[in-house]
Amino acid sequence: MKKLYAVFAVLLVAALLLPACGASGTPDCSKPETFCVGLVTDVGKIDDKSFNQSAWEGVKQAEKDLGAVVQYIETTDAKDYAKNISTFAEAQYDVIVTVGFGLGEATTAAAQQYPGTKFIGVDQFQAAVTPGVAGLNFPEDQAGFLVGALAAQMSKSGKIGGVFGTDAVPPVWRFGEGYRAGAQYINPNIEIFIVYHSDVGFDKTFSDPEWGAATAKSMIEKGADIVFGGGGKTGNGAVIGAVEAGALGIGVDTDQYYTLPEAQKGLLSSAMKLITPGVFDLVKMAKDGAFPDGNFFGKAAYAPYHDLDSQVPAEVKAKMEEINKALLDGSLATNVSPVKP
Amino acid sequence: MQAAAEKPARGWFVRLWRAFVEAALVPILAIITAVIGGGIIIWVVGGNPFAAYLGLLQGAFGSTRAWSETFVWATPYIFAGLAVALAFKGGLFNIGAEGQLAFGALAAAWVGYALPNLLGVQLPGYIHLPLAILAGMLVGALWGAIPGALKAYAGGHEVINTIMMNYIALNLTSFLLNGPMKDKNPLNVIARTPEIAESARLLPIFANLRIHWGFPLALLTAFLVWYLLWKTTLGFEIRTAGSNPDAAKYAGINFKRILVLTMALSGLLAGLAGAVEVTGLNYRQELGFSIGYGFDAIAIALLGKTHPLGVVLSAILFAGMRNGATRMQFLTQIPVDIISVIQALILLFVAADAIVRKIYRIKAREDRLVLTRGWGG
Amino acid sequence: MDWRRFSFIGIIIILLFGVVVLIGGEQISPLIIISSMLATTLSVATPLTLGALSGIFCERAGVVNIGIEGMMLAAAFFGWLASIYMNSIFEYSPAISLTIGVLAAILTGGLFALLHAWLSITFKVDQIIGGTVINILAIGVTGFLNRQLFFDKGSIFGGNVPHAPGLLPTLSKALTVLCSGAQGCGGLPSLIAGTIFDQKPVAISAILLVIVANYVLFNTRWGLRTRAVGEHPKAADTVGIDVRRVRYINVVIGGMLAGLAGAYFTIESVPSFEPLMTNGRGFIALAAMIFGNWTPFGAWAAALVFGASQALQINLQFFRESIPPAWAFLQQSYVVGLAPYILTMLILTGVIGKTTPPAADGQPYEK
Repeated sequence: MKKLYAVFAVLLVAALLLPACGASGTPDCSKPETFCVGLVTDVGKIDDKSFNQSAWEGVKQAEKDLGAVVQYIETTDAKDYAKNISTFAEAQYDVIVTVGFGLGEATTAAAQQYPGTKFIGVDQFQAAVTPGVAGLNFPEDQAGFLVGALAAQMSKSGKIGGVFGTDAVPPVWRFGEGYRAGAQYINPNIEIFIVYHSDVGFDKTFSDPEWGAATAKSMIEKGADIVFGGGGKTGNGAVIGAVEAGALGIGVDTDQYYTLPEAQKGLLSSAMKLITPGVFDLVKMAKDGAFPDGNFFGKAAYAPYHDLDSQVPAEVKAKMEEINKALLDGSLATNVSPVKP
Repeated sequence: MQAAAEKPARGWFVRLWRAFVEAALVPILAIITAVIGGGIIIWVVGGNPFAAYLGLLQGAFGSTRAWSETFVWATPYIFAGLAVALAFKGGLFNIGAEGQLAFGALAAAWVGYALPNLLGVQLPGYIHLPLAILAGMLVGALWGAIPGALKAYAGGHEVINTIMMNYIALNLTSFLLNGPMKDKNPLNVIARTPEIAESARLLPIFANLRIHWGFPLALLTAFLVWYLLWKTTLGFEIRTAGSNPDAAKYAGINFKRILVLTMALSGLLAGLAGAVEVTGLNYRQELGFSIGYGFDAIAIALLGKTHPLGVVLSAILFAGMRNGATRMQFLTQIPVDIISVIQALILLFVAADAIVRKIYRIKAREDRLVLTRGWGG
Repeated sequence: MDWRRFSFIGIIIILLFGVVVLIGGEQISPLIIISSMLATTLSVATPLTLGALSGIFCERAGVVNIGIEGMMLAAAFFGWLASIYMNSIFEYSPAISLTIGVLAAILTGGLFALLHAWLSITFKVDQIIGGTVINILAIGVTGFLNRQLFFDKGSIFGGNVPHAPGLLPTLSKALTVLCSGAQGCGGLPSLIAGTIFDQKPVAISAILLVIVANYVLFNTRWGLRTRAVGEHPKAADTVGIDVRRVRYINVVIGGMLAGLAGAYFTIESVPSFEPLMTNGRGFIALAAMIFGNWTPFGAWAAALVFGASQALQINLQFFRESIPPAWAFLQQSYVVGLAPYILTMLILTGVIGKTTPPAADGQPYEK
């Protein structure tokens, strides 16, 4: 027993002393020549193959092209947003990217507390300009509109489907309603099944691929021949389920031809919000001293047809380009409200 | 200290210390073993366990701010851990702390933001704040009492019923936060309540740190739970009903009443956890706050051997791990999930203390927690 | 299993389907609605059925297993991992890789169950604590390894992330290959294609296993011993049954069933793993087990109720615009989502016939 107490005492002393000696080997971001970029995720994982990961790819591009020191922190509980941001700010990072509308308030608060740091808030609409904060927003309704129009033109049955995460998240709502508007723009009589996975907790609505696949299949049994999967892994499941059941799938956020290799043979297109270039552009502007405070709008687009290119008729391709142009120059509006009314 | 522990017990301090060592020996060895096990896993997948643990310790206890954040995390853990521990003492397994906590938080938030407008008067802080906390406690108690009553009077096992009620609470919270209770401010896009009034807030203890008066309140509550369990008749009845239900029946204890009361008290503590999170830290309730606390609380209660002091200590340990994980990831990019692995190992070694006793060659002592008595009740 | 319970379950399922047919029947033919809802019901019920069977084997032998959720999750991960590695590193064909994946999932479930058996039978740890350990451990291990093994290996724009060899085929597709053509075997593949029988292997084996489990439990010596050990271990011991051995084996069988349920997620349903992807279905499976009074057929029927209420939720959203104003509450998917949980609680309270767990359920056996 005596030995045990001795071991205890040693361990206790060691535990108390350990924090005193600082960690070394991490780059010193306080030096002006070291350009550091940190990223804080929302309550989600960095490897989500969509939202957080796209932003992280933009940061990694800054590592490659701008020689930046990059690092990320994953948030496990919403109450830690502020703490995670200040972990970077106190290490004197030059740019901090916060991903998701949920971090909006914590980001503006941090910008006031750390005026020397630039903040990029992905999907954070800035109602008022805060110095040092650029909100990176996307016209998801336009991306949804584009793939909706595409789906309506390509559908043989006149029935199309969409499987989404929760409509309580505005970008998801805009994707869904944009999809509806785009399809109806082409064919006012088209039948559209839109399902949101709002019946589970907030932490699960985007991470339920099995449900997504089951829902997509259920739509196809009712005649839908194209399914748009919009909303994290739930949407991914829907795209895979649709392709497997012989229908066409449409991905979301990024060109999912690369993230869903299993669905390549039936992936018609993806409704893209170009998060990666948007984040990179803003990081670069921060480095060049041309950081825009306030709102910064990224681009929406539809992804190439890849394997299905030969099946898309030339007139559909032409029509898609026409719609894209009209959306960009403002002559065509989606008429989707930014938030679920 | 070491020498004192070896001498025959004389003074109250020595006796207390010996009792503490006796009770804490296996948990502490379990923690050490689990930390070593976690370190091996980190090492196997190519990380540096020393750098990782250093980051963890720095993040948890390396600065005033770190201590403050650890106590912020510990506050709901203490309340929820006490909730589960109290139920264990009464022979009940409350997996429903999660749902009770969520409802407690919702109730406190509602009193915090809606009640003044409803009554049309500004409530002073000394009325509004206690009212908000009380509402959280009551709703939690009610949500806990339902499975208690179902067990006492209909024989439905509380484990399944509390799991079911977690799902019900989850659906209802989503519904309320997206609908009737949603912040109607046009700029708000999040499923959350409006901010609670200033008068319903627990204040921070120090300026510029987030630690608030909820933490001392949690410590006080731990003391009160200890007092209730060991110094009152009700506590004696709860413990008897838990450790020896047959004896309890012969002793004339109203078994069913105690059962419902235990679950209600447990729910009350879990509701308090939610209410304090809202009034002391978040100032509103939002989807995404406090997910998984109910399940962490089970591990905390078991690690603390269901004793209030043990619960406080293990809550601080778990809080430190959760809080320090951020810094660990920041410094070493080791995924925070390793914390769950370590926690599971700790729990494994605490539960199967025979393993720990074998490794460290400590004499066995009969002290087994028996919770399961089938599903029928 | 009494007829009252079965007819009650039948009525619930008919009601759930009927609501949708009433609302959507004008847009789409009722036949299509019913067959599509049946398909959704069956696939949603698959992991629940297997999970419930897992629980039945454990608890009939007297060991409570609330670690089914963790066993499923771990099996989903390791089965998926095995199929990927077999395909990308050892370059087996997709069919073989997927088969090995399923076997690896079953093995993982069995190993986690062995841990549970070791804790609860040998160390006599409280069985609920043992299950909790398994649940937390599975979350940590799968989340940690998933990140360490796959992140930074590539990017969302491609790269060399090894990906899954695909999914298990449906019965008709598998038969087409086996019978060398859709018209082989007397045209069987084309006959079942697109019908309710055209399910995937795990879904089919779930139904077969219900029948097998029922036979084993109630018509074999092993089943008799299992039930004896779960009801009255002392008596079983005196007639020479090795209580600990019977319990060990049944818990491991249960774990393997939960492992097969895990394979459903990552090898049969979608070809990817996500942290926490079992989303509490292991707990619902437990509820199904109790709902069905610890009998395989009862548990299956209960799993179908959960599946049907999921199908209801999905289908109600299709026809959201056609819901009559008087039934407006049906538009709230949260409210509809409550139904199965409330039903389970009602059943537990004995409103619909009493449930009787095995008498020695949850009690460690002391000689």
